[in-house]
Amino acid sequence: MKRLHIAMESTTLANGLKVVIAPDSTAPVVTVGVYYKIGFRLEPRGRSGFAHLFEHMMFQGSANAPKMQHIKLINSSGGVLNGSTSYDVTNYYQAVPSNALERVLWLEADRMRALKVDDENLKNQRDVVKEEVRVNVMNQPYGGFPWLDMPPVAFRNWANAHNFYGDFADLDAADLADVQAFFKTYYVPNNSVLLVLGDVKAAEGIALAEKYFEGIPAGAAPHFADPTEPEQTEERHGFVEEKFGTLPAMAIGYLMPKRRTADWCAMALLDQALHGGRAGRLYRDLVLEKQIAVEADGGIDDIFGYNGPTQMTTRILHKPEFINETALAAFDLVIREVLENGISADELEQLKVKWRSDYYATLEGGRGGYMPKYGLMHLLACFTLFDNEPQLVNTILEGFLNVTREEIQAAGEKYLRKEKRAIVFRNPVKAGLPAKADAKEAA
Amino acid sequence: MATRTVEVARGVPELAAERAVTWPRRTKARLSNGLEVILAESHSIPKFHGELFFRSGNAAVADRTPGLGEMTATVVRTGTAKRVSRQIEEDLRRIGADLSSSAGADTSAISFAGLAEFPEPLLGLVNELAREATFPEAEFERERRQKLEEVKLERTQPGFLASERLRKVLFGAHPYGQVSPSEAQVAAYKREDLQAVYRESYAPENALLLLVGDFDSQETLKTAEKVFGEWKGAKPATKTSAAPPNPRGRRVYLVHVPGAVQTQVLAGCHAITRKHPDWVKLGLTNSLYGGAFNSRLVMNIREDKGYTYSPRSGVNALRQHGYFSVSAAVRNDVVAASLTEIFYEMDRLRSVPVSRAELADAQNYLSGVFSMGLATQDGLLSQLSTVALNELPDDHLETYRQKVRALTPEDLLATARKYLDSANMQIVVVGDRAQIEEQAALFGELEIYDAQGTRLS
Repeated sequence: MKRLHIAMESTTLANGLKVVIAPDSTAPVVTVGVYYKIGFRLEPRGRSGFAHLFEHMMFQGSANAPKMQHIKLINSSGGVLNGSTSYDVTNYYQAVPSNALERVLWLEADRMRALKVDDENLKNQRDVVKEEVRVNVMNQPYGGFPWLDMPPVAFRNWANAHNFYGDFADLDAADLADVQAFFKTYYVPNNSVLLVLGDVKAAEGIALAEKYFEGIPAGAAPHFADPTEPEQTEERHGFVEEKFGTLPAMAIGYLMPKRRTADWCAMALLDQALHGGRAGRLYRDLVLEKQIAVEADGGIDDIFGYNGPTQMTTRILHKPEFINETALAAFDLVIREVLENGISADELEQLKVKWRSDYYATLEGGRGGYMPKYGLMHLLACFTLFDNEPQLVNTILEGFLNVTREEIQAAGEKYLRKEKRAIVFRNPVKAGLPAKADAKEAA
Repeated sequence: MATRTVEVARGVPELAAERAVTWPRRTKARLSNGLEVILAESHSIPKFHGELFFRSGNAAVADRTPGLGEMTATVVRTGTAKRVSRQIEEDLRRIGADLSSSAGADTSAISFAGLAEFPEPLLGLVNELAREATFPEAEFERERRQKLEEVKLERTQPGFLASERLRKVLFGAHPYGQVSPSEAQVAAYKREDLQAVYRESYAPENALLLLVGDFDSQETLKTAEKVFGEWKGAKPATKTSAAPPNPRGRRVYLVHVPGAVQTQVLAGCHAITRKHPDWVKLGLTNSLYGGAFNSRLVMNIREDKGYTYSPRSGVNALRQHGYFSVSAAVRNDVVAASLTEIFYEMDRLRSVPVSRAELADAQNYLSGVFSMGLATQDGLLSQLSTVALNELPDDHLETYRQKVRALTPEDLLATARKYLDSANMQIVVVGDRAQIEEQAALFGELEIYDAQGTRLS
């Protein structure tokens, strides 16, 4: 078995900024990321969608690089850039020819030190974000399903349950004072990690990080709201109208164990057994064999990158001649089967090989294919911010490859329980679903 | 037109000296059966990526029925003389592999990736799919019914409706004119029709095998000969298609989606293929216009005016014809304002030469992004397939950046005048008629359709 070893060096600057350098001279390209440990889960109450809106504001100008300059300077150096907001982190990243490394570090340091934006920038990006929500959610069939539909059904703590893209009223209410307060609270060097991957030498990378970032003053350690959920003791249901789509849909989400526990590794393998493409039990049963569903996929989203309550979610779009209950009954049978009979030694062996292969693909995987080493950057960042241990990227695989059949069965019994799940039904408003009485039963 | 002056940055570090870009050596070979093979080593992760292309896609058999190439590719993976569907999926998982089969307008492909430790079993399975697919009746029937739901569903996606209409307008009866089959056409698919396509197109003389990854090229070439060597089959005869229409004057096509809360705008005109000598010039012109984040169009209608999240332009290079297009999903009340800016930026590039500084920025962008493909196995694979399938010169990867750097403001002005054909752009808007009809009609004679393609007025 060939193993991959990622060479890296890491340090913490005097202001608390963590730095990870992962040199690799395959291509004269360097990927630079800055991760802040704040995502939409812990954004302020009454300001839903703010973490994401704020991410847009980070491209609107800093003390020495006014509006449009960050984008212009990266593109005109031959590079690409973007940012994204998730549950527990927000990231900013760029891949550039390695001769532009200092320029990128200068730009990232400038906006970490002093964001400089005005009301006009805020209004502009609020408009842009609303069109983003329309194009991804409100004007698309199954837009936001289930990532936006599930949280309010599954969770009781506002942190986990609110609209992460933001209610438009909340977006409208956000002002510059909110922007500056959020920046001051969370965008401090001691709440972030800088990552430099690719065509750079370790010592050079660390020296440059010191040169550009060490002068940024540390801030007070941010206070984080508690995202803990009250214990769930009943199955939860929610209903959302599908305005455009033609097929009835449902999503089933089960609460997952904490990261880096033995149960977490076992559930990851069970996730692979259930989802895992056309070989997965759910796709095979619902789409290929019973032919109830048109799509059946899902899993534990961003398995290395969450730091609060999260679910394994299955998303099913099924044929209109079946009712939701029929599709759900078929889903339940697949779950019951695996809980009762477990998985065979042969199946587990297949799952582990595939898991290892997928892990390597994750490390190399780009965003939309244009951002080299995005996946490696993401894992290094999460292992640094949540575990203070970037080296985990080289060792984390072991835990998954050592999982036993018994552990999987035990974890399944513990987590795949009806009282630990939530279901969202998203049915077309206009399709005229058949009444229960004359609906077909599954084969 | 931008309403805000742009301030410049202060104290920006200069760029260091550029490091040379060295593309990996490609090993090119033809197996004894005529199969063309290209390999390149990339040791970034212990995996390899590959693609078996056939130089016939949906267009080659569009005279029979639309989407037949895609349906054939879909069913190819569902059974061979040696393995049933479930066995295929489990065998893939056993060696940590992913595989997909699909067809576009010009090619059909089996794409795969797997662990470096198992090259032969994966290539063996690919070989089986290419030679011994059995198109089991029940599998075909399930995939056909599945496809029926998919073609209904795609008619609810604004992006699909826009590109479908634009392709109809630009290509008419040419095979490129229909991007997807209708429900009735899918309902009429026959297993025998798929098998006929398979027999004709899935032949070594019509194929190209690309492999990129953590392997030794000579050894892998031997494996390929061993696995694929016995496969026989000739190239299918190529058919010539009718010339596409050449629409003159702007016309507007509104696809009515009741209740749409946003409008998908898409405008396009005929352009060129990748083999055309103007390709690099048009690529650079496009990146200045709307092909990059800091392009004029994005800065204007996103960063200045906030009309849209995702404006972009691109040159769509199909094998026989290419077209230029620009798209944006915009707020309903700024459809006319957005189109005005879309044409303003086009006309500006057609009338005023770009400054040396802006040209240099765009040249840096295009040549920098081009090298990103080096960094990953699938990135490299995609660069190699572009070169091979478009029959570009062998040194394309090595000379591209130089060609980009050689262009002048005059080249760009001439290119914009030739290909950003502002006066003859065909405009598609997908949205709620009641909210956008008046705005759309300002830009040309208006035709209105519903999502099913029926003309309303």
